[in-house]
Amino acid sequence: MSVPDAKAAVVARDGRRRRSRSRGRARRTGMPVSVALCAVVLAAVILCAIAPGLLAPQDPALIDPAGGLQTASGAHLLGTDALGRDVLSRVVAGARSALVGPLILTSATVVVSTFLALVAGYLGGWFDAVVSRVADTVYALPALIVTIVIVGVFGGGWWLAIGVLVVFNTPTALRILRAAVIERRDLPYVEAARTIGASRWSIMVRHLLPNLEPMVVTCFFLGFTYGMVELSALSFLGLGVPPGSPDWGRMLSENRVQVAQNPWAAVAPGIAIVATVLSANILGGWIYERLERRKRER
Amino acid sequence: MSDHDTTRALAVHGLDVWASGPRGDVAIATGIELDVRPGEAIAIVGESGSGKSLSTRAVLDLLPEGVRATGSLRYGESDLSALAPRARRRLRGRELALVMQDPFTMLNPVERVGAQVVEALRDERGRRLSRAARRAEAVRRLAEVGIADPAVADRYPFELSGGMRQRVAIAAAIAEGPRVLVADEPTTALDVTTQRQILELLGELRRAHEMALVLITHDLSVAFSVCDRVYVMYAGALLETAPSRELRDRPRHPYTHGLLLAEPPADRRVERLAGIPGNVPSPGTRPDGCPFAPRCAWAAPACREGTLPPLRETAPGHSTRCLRIDEIATELGHGGDRPAVTADAASRASRATLVTVEGVRKRFAGRRGHGGTTALDGVDLSVREGESVGLVGESGSGKTTLARIVVGLEEATDGRAEVGGVALVGRTTRADREALRDTVQMAFQDPYSSLNPARTVGATLREAVRLAGGERADEERAVGELLERVGLPAQYAQRRPSALSGGERQRAAIARALARRPRLLVCDEVVSALDVSVQAQILNLLRDLQRELDLALLFITHDLAVVRQVTDRVYVLRRGVVVETGATASVLDAPAHAYTRELIASIPGGRSLEGSTRA
Repeated sequence: MSVPDAKAAVVARDGRRRRSRSRGRARRTGMPVSVALCAVVLAAVILCAIAPGLLAPQDPALIDPAGGLQTASGAHLLGTDALGRDVLSRVVAGARSALVGPLILTSATVVVSTFLALVAGYLGGWFDAVVSRVADTVYALPALIVTIVIVGVFGGGWWLAIGVLVVFNTPTALRILRAAVIERRDLPYVEAARTIGASRWSIMVRHLLPNLEPMVVTCFFLGFTYGMVELSALSFLGLGVPPGSPDWGRMLSENRVQVAQNPWAAVAPGIAIVATVLSANILGGWIYERLERRKRER
Repeated sequence: MSDHDTTRALAVHGLDVWASGPRGDVAIATGIELDVRPGEAIAIVGESGSGKSLSTRAVLDLLPEGVRATGSLRYGESDLSALAPRARRRLRGRELALVMQDPFTMLNPVERVGAQVVEALRDERGRRLSRAARRAEAVRRLAEVGIADPAVADRYPFELSGGMRQRVAIAAAIAEGPRVLVADEPTTALDVTTQRQILELLGELRRAHEMALVLITHDLSVAFSVCDRVYVMYAGALLETAPSRELRDRPRHPYTHGLLLAEPPADRRVERLAGIPGNVPSPGTRPDGCPFAPRCAWAAPACREGTLPPLRETAPGHSTRCLRIDEIATELGHGGDRPAVTADAASRASRATLVTVEGVRKRFAGRRGHGGTTALDGVDLSVREGESVGLVGESGSGKTTLARIVVGLEEATDGRAEVGGVALVGRTTRADREALRDTVQMAFQDPYSSLNPARTVGATLREAVRLAGGERADEERAVGELLERVGLPAQYAQRRPSALSGGERQRAAIARALARRPRLLVCDEVVSALDVSVQAQILNLLRDLQRELDLALLFITHDLAVVRQVTDRVYVLRRGVVVETGATASVLDAPAHAYTRELIASIPGGRSLEGSTRA
């Protein structure tokens, strides 16, 4: 190799190094733009849910019989529905029921499935067999249809809907978490805990549970998006939330007949559902990857 | 300049390797210089974190994402930087080929091995060979790597043993007649007897095909047994290069000197193994000046300043980066003739028996009652108080299963196993299990998975102390004592395992095992995942613990040199049966069983056994 060549190599190396340093910084300071956008959307939805009065231009329940079905205007940015209620205010107010339902549903699902996964996955045996077969059976049932039937027969309670959906959503999370427990239960650190005399319960809680963190978080976000779609579908069908309350699924179903007069009344809640679900999903995936990377690095 | 020399099969000049991480770029290796003549065998020797694997990946143009290399690379007449990506790809296989550590992941599990060997072959017109020609070629090439049975060509990789798989992988790598064969730790995953066969095969193929061989290994004796010249890498830099014999007899860098001393001799027991203090610095935390300076006994202030010292030739073909070599040359390379000591096993012969294993059998059932394997087939074993007993065997010999039975992690199918007065076969009560745990504890092979990654070392040790019945108020003091006992600073209690090196993790794992003050510590391959320099530290620690705590050791290993250093008595296991037992020195010096002799003959280099082949 000649001398000028060597110099060129050095220059190229420096140039490349600098470029990728700046890239490295961008990666460190934050998330990709798409994920940041999702975080902003979710933050906005959460803000609407906490303080709807702050953002809603009007009382979402205020009926104006004379001003029904207006299209978008300065007074009503998204127009009004058939009863003359401001659509924007109702979308903002609907954020609360859109978030609270899935949150309760998913929290319950994740707690139940983590517990079952730890016990079934670590202990194995007949308990595992029973839990797994029941989970498979529930998994095979059409969740929404059975929920509609049960909620319909027993008179449309919101809490009943949540309870039934917890049962139906548990198998998905349970399978993921149980597999993760089985993957770890024979690792040396678990065996070491056994040889120093740790109890089964303490192995599950102290040794296995902390190492499931990324999986639990994923299950939470997955369950959240799934639950939101399910609950919206139920209220679209008139089950779950009581009539008249601002709810995205219910608005979608109530306003879809007048879509020609004010399309926003039906489209806006639909967009809200899609945007929230998508944001939660993408953000959840990103958080999972970060947790996994941190786990690997440490 | 010799760089224009076309008699090189491979020439690397000024190679730097960088990895981009979350905290900017990190140098993996700097200033790598290699040249290999056709038909020559060189070794790149280094511990983990030396950058040897990524440097050779850079040479092969096979770097993973996020890692980049700069510098000049020449294969024969072609300059890599002048070639388009497509032409570079074509070089691999024809000019350069790679054999990896794990032959199982290197072969496609769903394709028959014969097809994989001849996959890349084309006829003169660039077309695939006919089915019959491919099959004949596969059989011929498998025969060349020592697989005489043509039926093997029709098997799948999982139907073959590790050694057979590595032979297939080698046959596939040399299919296109490369000029350079790069072998990355090709024998690390194999048993010693298989290792020897594979190393011999590589040597034969190199001579038969006039092929240059680049062997990457962590094991100096493997390098000496196969290669003409050795490059020693440490913390991303080439510290010394010399012909094998020259390097072995006259190391000219303190690191090489330390590595040579750290290797436990297989022919005698020495008073104390010479480990290199400290740990290999990880990329990004490497010191200024000479990377070895912080661990070097000869380091002067000048060694710790400036950039990497230059590679200087001290004799023809022998170069070193040591700045002080002229002053310290006479001190290096000595200390290898450490006096042998005899194990004081006799004093323990009269002590009480701690472990009694009689006629133990262990059968693992296959799925739904089919198949199944017999791991142990009637094994007798005993360990006395304070005694150190070795359990030697290759993979599949049942040594780990036996250890797990003694610890209570596994139950014997048949036979009698008694540890500290507790019978382990059949029903055990809670009190029995508690008594067992107070008697015997275990240290595991892989220090990376034997500590819970989510908990700090302190939390892990506190749990062990609590389970040992310690007072809560006393926990902190007890944890501090345990850490001190294994030679770790007290502030390590706050660290997570990820912040510890392999050797430190193994110390922490040993500390956990000591929390219950056991009378027997079962060590399952505790040093096999560690670097040589660290291995010596752990072996010394175990010997100290045995003496100071009057601890009995059941030491499981495949490494005869390690057995020699640590144990008083040894059992040689083969396929679930004890083939030979006796005092370690007499078994190793005068083996009675053919299998023991074969194991001893397979120790690479044979150097360490020159004095003891009288048997």
